[in-house]
Amino acid sequence: MPQLDTSTWLVTIIAMILTLFILIQLKFHKYSYPLSPAPKTFKSTSFPTPWETKWTKFYSPLLLPQQ
Amino acid sequence: MNENLFSSFITPTMMGLPIVILIIMFPTLLFPIPTRLINNRLVSAQQWLAQLILKQMMMMHSPKGRTWALMLISLIMFIGSTNLLGLLPHSFTPTTQLSMNLGMAIPLWAGAVITGFRYKTKASLAHFLPQGTPVPLIPMLVIIETISLFIQPMALAVRLTANITAGHLLMHLIGGAALALISISPTTALITFIILILLTILEFAVALIQAYVFTLLVSLYLHDNT
Repeated sequence: MPQLDTSTWLVTIIAMILTLFILIQLKFHKYSYPLSPAPKTFKSTSFPTPWETKWTKFYSPLLLPQQ
Repeated sequence: MNENLFSSFITPTMMGLPIVILIIMFPTLLFPIPTRLINNRLVSAQQWLAQLILKQMMMMHSPKGRTWALMLISLIMFIGSTNLLGLLPHSFTPTTQLSMNLGMAIPLWAGAVITGFRYKTKASLAHFLPQGTPVPLIPMLVIIETISLFIQPMALAVRLTANITAGHLLMHLIGGAALALISISPTTALITFIILILLTILEFAVALIQAYVFTLLVSLYLHDNT
């Protein structure tokens, strides 16, 4: 039975190890399964400036009581 | 006749160069790397198949066992594609070689067992003695369980080799018989040809099933040990 001829075993095993453990895994490693796109709720990263942390009345000339 | 029958299982060399290396590496060409978010049909179909297989196989494993996901999906795709390519006429099937199957089975089984020894030593040693055995039977049962443990990689390799080799041999024989019968009695040749077609359908199934069984058993050994 030619499968029992051990002279070729080394070549076959080395080729198989190379293929199975390196080549094929390099192909399947790149498969990605992203989740379906959905909108993310985002928190604002800007911080309120010091004069905005407290509410103060705006003093603009046109808003002053007319004299 | 014997020489002729087994000649398709000799590792191919062309003028002294071992082209068996190229034959073993050929199935990797059939799995292109996805480069886009939405790929072409071939890559999408392969990704879908890989996801189907992964979900089915890795569901029963713990997170530690799931680190083997890449290995197991590569294994099943490699064996499946190699077996299917072997059904083409005049092709060489690497999985008929005992050397290759032993080279696949022994490291994977040993990896699973050694992982079990390292992380769950007591539990993996406890596998050697089933619960509730009567005390006088313990030595014999430990011996039996040890033997059945060490026979697992051998059985994995020989099962795959024997199934694929036997299928190919049967197809050779029945095909040769059908060809020889044409000149003698065409109706018998037709019947033999129908048998050959049925056998080819069986061989397609066997090719896929053997890949599945190999991977499933490795996965089972992994589950026992993680």
